[in-house]
Amino acid sequence: MQEENLIIFMLERLPQLWLRTGEHLMLTGVSTGVAIILGVPLGILASRIDRMRGPLLGATGILQTIPSLAMLAILLAITGKIGALPAIIALILYSLLPITRNTLTGIQEVSPASLEAARGIGMTSHQQLWMIKIPLALPVIVAGIRTAAVTGVGIATLSAFIGAGGLGQFINRGLALANNNLVLLGAIPAALLALLVDFSISTMLWSVQPRKHRHLRPRWRTLLRGLAFSMPFLIGIAGAIAFVSGTRTVSNYESVSRDKEFQNKVVIASKNFTEQFILGELMAQIIEGNTGLSVDRRFNLGGTMICHGALVSGEIDLYAEYTGTGLTAILKEPVLSNPDEAFKVVAKEYSHRFDIEWLKPFGFNNTYAITVRQEDARLKGWEKISDLGKSASNLRAGFTSEFSERPDGYPGLIRAYGFRFGIVKDLDPTLMYEALVREEVDVICAFATDGRIDAYNLKPLQDDRRFFPPYQAAPLIRRQVKRDYPEIEQVLVQLSGLLDNSIMQKLNYEVDGKKISPRQVAREFLKSHNLLKSVQ
Amino acid sequence: MIRIQELTKSFDGGKSYAVESLSLEVYEGETMVLLGSSGCGKTTTLKMINRLVEPTSGLIQVGGRDVKNQDTASLRRRIGYVFQEIGLFPHMTIEQNIAIVPKLLGWDKERRHLRAGELLELMDLDPSLFANRYPDELSGGQQQRVGVARALAANPDYLLMDEPFGALDALTRDTLQQELISLKDSLRKTIIFVTHDIFEAFALGDRIAVLHAGRLQQVGTKDEVYNHPASPFVAELFSRPSRQLELIGKKL
Repeated sequence: MQEENLIIFMLERLPQLWLRTGEHLMLTGVSTGVAIILGVPLGILASRIDRMRGPLLGATGILQTIPSLAMLAILLAITGKIGALPAIIALILYSLLPITRNTLTGIQEVSPASLEAARGIGMTSHQQLWMIKIPLALPVIVAGIRTAAVTGVGIATLSAFIGAGGLGQFINRGLALANNNLVLLGAIPAALLALLVDFSISTMLWSVQPRKHRHLRPRWRTLLRGLAFSMPFLIGIAGAIAFVSGTRTVSNYESVSRDKEFQNKVVIASKNFTEQFILGELMAQIIEGNTGLSVDRRFNLGGTMICHGALVSGEIDLYAEYTGTGLTAILKEPVLSNPDEAFKVVAKEYSHRFDIEWLKPFGFNNTYAITVRQEDARLKGWEKISDLGKSASNLRAGFTSEFSERPDGYPGLIRAYGFRFGIVKDLDPTLMYEALVREEVDVICAFATDGRIDAYNLKPLQDDRRFFPPYQAAPLIRRQVKRDYPEIEQVLVQLSGLLDNSIMQKLNYEVDGKKISPRQVAREFLKSHNLLKSVQ
Repeated sequence: MIRIQELTKSFDGGKSYAVESLSLEVYEGETMVLLGSSGCGKTTTLKMINRLVEPTSGLIQVGGRDVKNQDTASLRRRIGYVFQEIGLFPHMTIEQNIAIVPKLLGWDKERRHLRAGELLELMDLDPSLFANRYPDELSGGQQQRVGVARALAANPDYLLMDEPFGALDALTRDTLQQELISLKDSLRKTIIFVTHDIFEAFALGDRIAVLHAGRLQQVGTKDEVYNHPASPFVAELFSRPSRQLELIGKKL
């Protein structure tokens, strides 16, 4: 599968590529457009009002320094929505600085001689602005727009984390599935897009610099300037066409746009790792196959907080969560080591606080497992986590960023076992295993159900102080949706108890190791248990 | 006619005066040179006429109308202005630069084109060569000819020239002075010309107003100011060039 020809791989996904590219351009185009509409007048205003200049540049400058992911997360919290809106707002905020600053600089750089002449020959201040200041500042303004748009193409790649689509979705999914072709499917067009946007705006820049094309005949000059000036708009229009036509043609597996008015539709989400994709697909397909409902898949959201936020705000209806995660990360409750007790507490609290219900667990317990290489364990006699204590300061740990922060993760581990690792690296959940195999790290926080533990010959250590809480997976559903569509619970209950740890490990490995798509793995599983009445 | 009465300008709220109680009449069709060293108030006086600078007190009438009561933009469009820094608009062609005031006045395209061509001819610049060029392709002297053409474009009755040839080399300056002399005879405009150059003042001025430290020292024809200086300052001013010439003579 890995050796599959990249070109063929891309050609097969052309309709999706078309849609994602359109989406990407839409995100960049809309945000750059709005940033121009806001930023240019702000810049002009700042050129006239001295007192505004410092605060304005300071404020836009601060916005610029916020890291992109942090910005997306903040906007997600503020707007309470996933999808294009927070992504576009983030992109607008980033674009403001270059556009506003360049507008201001461009106007301030207009020579005093030109300005005095403009006043002296009798231009009104309005005419001075439109006939002298703006045309002379235009190359600098367009240069600012160019910076904003090209950076925007790059940042838009990240907005797939919050379900805004775009080419970043391929990259995220490719990383999550350890599928390089999928990563390239997103990365190459994104790079080309950045070049294209850069080129189109540089032609626009050429068009607004009259002295650069003085050698052309006047008629040609006008024609070429018009063409060059409209280049970014042409690309924007092409993006809009791709977006609109793509949304229609691409199957709803890829679709991210949610049509609120459309009835009989459930929105199912997943976090950003393989098991979540499989659980998402299992739930989606069993619903599609056995009820009259259709499913909108919003997979690969950035993490627990994003899924939870989206569920609370009603952006999504259903996703699979783990009891330990709900208990510690969401409810901030102390760790409970009894699985039944943990489930009772989260079910009660979620229902009480968020109007969200925990359906029956799938059956497996995907707890964290502090994992080392089998070989190291044999050589050093490691069996339990506490065995690591002596050499911990010489070990390199690779943890997911979530694990590094969660109270039931590394911070709690330190307290429970009383040692720290020498170096801790933040790793993507799916890169972690490879990093361990390649000896780039010595310890990882594996998931107990991950198929790669066996496949890569890794050794999970026993949690001898019973620190990690149980992580039983179960569907989380909004009460409103459960009430409106009682058939959802009726079909999902058929999955409960069906997936024990070894089955889940096997399913995970089919995706991670054998590179079969989560969709297919889920379908085969459901078929083999006769859970699909009608084959789609 | 331009009439200036008791014109005063202070930039620091009355502690010092750039121009103090200046009264002057410039007759129809004459060229009045404001002569003085830098900081004497001559440029400030010029700029108060078209309200680029607002006077602290005093009266200015252009063509019998008080400039204070007029809309600044339309006032300035009626008065041609030639700047020391030339100030051509770099993003406009020579033709567009020349035709800018007619454009502000709403002339149609054809009329503007004809007028620009006419003025280029008048300024000894071939329209087929220069009309579509941009200012930075021209030499300093050519640029200032365009500057003069721009000031003349809407055919104003009055022309204000603020050391227009000050930044040019001596040879070009000489040529442009000669051209302006023949031009002013044929155009019969009322011109106020600011300079610190005594030779330029004598070459161009029908009358000369000598300014010093914001005050008018003397107004008169070349003969009057040279042969009958009204103050020791004026006498000193005009004796300097001949003393310099003497000095050069001795060295030779």
